[in-house]
Amino acid sequence: MPQRLRKVISKPTTLSLSIVVCLLALLGLILPTGMRSLLIDIMIFSIFAMAYDILFGFSNQFSYGQALFFGVGAYGVLLPILHMKVNLWTGMLIAEMLCLFFALALGSLAVRVSGAYFVIITIIFNMIFYLLALDWTWLTGGDDGLSFAVPPIPLGFASFSVYDPIVNYYFTFFFFITTYLILKRIIDSPLGRILVSIRENEERVRFLGYDVIRYKLIAYIISALFTGLSGALYAVRTRYASAEYFSLAISAEPIIWTLIGGAGTLIGPIIGAAVITSLIYYIGVWWKHYLIIIGALMIILLRVSPKGIVGYIASKMR
Amino acid sequence: MLPELIRIIIFSLTNGVVWALIVALVALGLSFIFGLMEIVNIAHGELYMLGAVLTWYGLALLGNFWLGVIIASLIMGAFGIGLERVVLRSFEGRVADTVIVTIGLSYILQQIALATFGGAPRTIPDPLPVAVQFLGINYPAYRLLITGVSALALIGLWLFLYRTSLGIHIRAAMQDREMASAMGIPVSRVYTMTFSIGALLAALGGALAAPVVQLFYLMGLDILCVSFIVVIVGGLGSLKGTLVASLIICPLEGVMTVFITPTEARVVSFIIMAVVLLIRPRGLFGTAGR
Repeated sequence: MPQRLRKVISKPTTLSLSIVVCLLALLGLILPTGMRSLLIDIMIFSIFAMAYDILFGFSNQFSYGQALFFGVGAYGVLLPILHMKVNLWTGMLIAEMLCLFFALALGSLAVRVSGAYFVIITIIFNMIFYLLALDWTWLTGGDDGLSFAVPPIPLGFASFSVYDPIVNYYFTFFFFITTYLILKRIIDSPLGRILVSIRENEERVRFLGYDVIRYKLIAYIISALFTGLSGALYAVRTRYASAEYFSLAISAEPIIWTLIGGAGTLIGPIIGAAVITSLIYYIGVWWKHYLIIIGALMIILLRVSPKGIVGYIASKMR
Repeated sequence: MLPELIRIIIFSLTNGVVWALIVALVALGLSFIFGLMEIVNIAHGELYMLGAVLTWYGLALLGNFWLGVIIASLIMGAFGIGLERVVLRSFEGRVADTVIVTIGLSYILQQIALATFGGAPRTIPDPLPVAVQFLGINYPAYRLLITGVSALALIGLWLFLYRTSLGIHIRAAMQDREMASAMGIPVSRVYTMTFSIGALLAALGGALAAPVVQLFYLMGLDILCVSFIVVIVGGLGSLKGTLVASLIICPLEGVMTVFITPTEARVVSFIIMAVVLLIRPRGLFGTAGR
């Protein structure tokens, strides 16, 4: 396989990225409604997956509770719009502020432990939010959830209605690209290097004088913020949120996407999210027990390539 | 005659103790499997569910509930052997991967149950429709029978672990896998047997619980949740701890539901779990290290 192609996948160059970006931008206009809808979902879930990669793939904090922030992001945009009629940007800002708050509060406790105990703490925090969301139907609508009317997006010169699928596509596309660029920047920065070092050998980083807890917390907060973003985008897309948005099932998804796609690569989780979401979309249409195939695929994929799809491609090209 | 509230509390407390023993059966399997093979078995609840579902089929096909219980447990034990050797063997030790793999497994098992058993909840008639009177309440005899059978199973498990050579092998491998292997213990066979026993216990729990709960393809989720809490609070790798934790948490949840909703009671259990983890991360009886 040509040297060029290998580089494209494991270390995307500006050229390859620009090609992908232009392609995605074009697809928004030309795709049929169903596929465009699928692509919107893929982009939202990719943001969720990339956020998870920062936490797990880059700083080795295996969390099984990110749905907490997904739900907070979703309700964070829904409740202010529903009750206080704020505009969309304000709603999303409130959602992000709430995520920041919870990330600081919960993260300061969680990052102090690692390994098995960290997973457990994340599960506990997640379950508490989920159970409360189920119970406090006055706030969240419980299992039935709440619908809301999304106000149009004011962009200074014009207003765009999110109910137009094309607008929804580019709205999501904007955040998708921005997320990737910001996270890539973070990965390539000294902060990113420190996170990778923590993943490789935490003790040594501590001996070198770095405050590991602080860096882990930073990674946790960054992850929480982008997870909340994906939750908010999903609520806007579906015009709905329910207690299920906090469920452990949702928490499992980025784990699946990241491990299937390849952790620690930022691209890998996007691929994982794309593959799994597409499979569910296409298989789910003709077989209602599509989860059997998804489950089997998860087992087989991980067995064949422990480093995920990206790892498999990278190893094939060596 | 005791006041109504006291009688309700006694009833809930007894329910809690009955439930605690079932949960102990299931949670012990979970604890073993993690303690020995570092597999976080997210599909453990599905093993419980299949135990219940197979018992339903046993009853429907053979007409005898207890025969159904025995056969269901044995089938799941055998299934556990196959599962460990074919699917899980290559993932042992890689905790993050076992989470994904067992999630996938749980999807498969749930859907199989949905496709065959169906999505509508079903019930099994009470095998012992008699009421026993004690402490001022009328209590279903079958539930007391569950307690008896579970207790017997737990004693059997204890005897197995502490009085048989396979049991010693399991405990040795849990303590120090490499040393055990160096001493000639067939570790991979021990792994298979351990998973099989874990599956059997979970299925037995499901089978016994079947007449008491609603049979539903997702019934494994709740038991997984509480088993998990119990294993952590009791201490990973400690059998005594799991049993004690179960006997504390389940009756507590039972009594709490008299005053607050079951969901809120579960939140309290989680808070207890968080507090225990923060004060004593090993759990009540956990062995240090790991």
